[in-house]
Amino acid sequence: MNEQNRNWWAGVADIAATGLNHGASKLERVHLSIADETFDILQRVPVTRPWSEGVRHIHHGISRLSYRSVSLVASSLGMLARTANSPESFKPDIKLHE
Amino acid sequence: MSSDTSPAWQKQASAILSGFLGDWLEARNNPLALPMEVFHGRDTVDPQIPDVGQPGTTLCLSIHGLMELESVWNLPGQQGAHYGSLLAEAGQKITPLTLRYNSGRPIHRNGEDLATLLEALVRNWPVPVERIILIGHSMGGLLIRSACHYGHARGLRWVEQLGDCVYIGSPHDGSWLAKGAKATADLMKQTPRDYLRVIGEVIDLRSAGIRNLSRGEVVSEEDGEPPLCPGARHYVVCGLLACSRQHPVNALFGDALVHESSARGSERKGWSLSGIATFPGIDHIRLAHHPDVAGQLREWLL
Repeated sequence: MNEQNRNWWAGVADIAATGLNHGASKLERVHLSIADETFDILQRVPVTRPWSEGVRHIHHGISRLSYRSVSLVASSLGMLARTANSPESFKPDIKLHE
Repeated sequence: MSSDTSPAWQKQASAILSGFLGDWLEARNNPLALPMEVFHGRDTVDPQIPDVGQPGTTLCLSIHGLMELESVWNLPGQQGAHYGSLLAEAGQKITPLTLRYNSGRPIHRNGEDLATLLEALVRNWPVPVERIILIGHSMGGLLIRSACHYGHARGLRWVEQLGDCVYIGSPHDGSWLAKGAKATADLMKQTPRDYLRVIGEVIDLRSAGIRNLSRGEVVSEEDGEPPLCPGARHYVVCGLLACSRQHPVNALFGDALVHESSARGSERKGWSLSGIATFPGIDHIRLAHHPDVAGQLREWLL
């Protein structure tokens, strides 16, 4: 694999890692907000009201931990790919369009 | 000579990713962001030391659109031939060139760079340049208008040699698809549900180049709306999906991405076009490599 090709794959790894990192955080928001719809209904039903908030906290906690672990691994892999392939060629992580 | 030995699929992938995320890739210095380069056939041309074998006195530069490469111009079944090379074959001392660029960058920044590149190319061309023909497909046409504005504003020499500009399926008044993406993103981001806002944010990840396409913006906001470059002839080529002009699908989708009215710049004020041609049954992409369009260009430009 020549240097040009290696740089190209490093670029792909950078995009994939950033995509996974941002994708996990977006998916976390989608997951939690959809789950909130259900928990909001459970909160209104007298039978389920006493324990719905507790389950919501546990569910959200486990979900956040899972998605943020994926984000962390993706960030680390992206950093590793950038450092291993071309330490000078990438700038520090910057935010996508807000 | 070209030093890019990467396979065609890698170049195409880079072009697509550059179109989607080009400004972001550039800001990160990611190697997938395509640099602006001029080609003669498959060889790159250094604007500082242009070496093209037999240089002509007329330069014909073909400029691709969003997420495309110079290969979009290749006429089917004709080994490497494109509109520029067909014009050159007619023996008019025309040198056919193609441009490759990062189509996700803001159009005005690509326009500034193209104006500078053309100046270097004309200044260093081995023989005096008498005429320049610019042919742009889709976003490429907007890039021509942008480069003309900055070239004119800076008093660059190449603008005096500019003879003809051809806009092929260029969304001068915006593309319905880009407008739709913007409207959907804005709508989604205003909803109270977070999962819908996320969809809006994901749509909003599109590049600055795509954003410019929603309103056909060719210069930065403070530059207002520039007129067509004075002293040059301007031609418009439009495509339509259905073969019958009156077919409702043409009114809805135009050539699939650009409406006929937008390609003609109907909302632009003070435009004086030297020629307009509409090709029913030819979609947006095929406009860049269709024998009928080639025939029309020959009629206009030779």
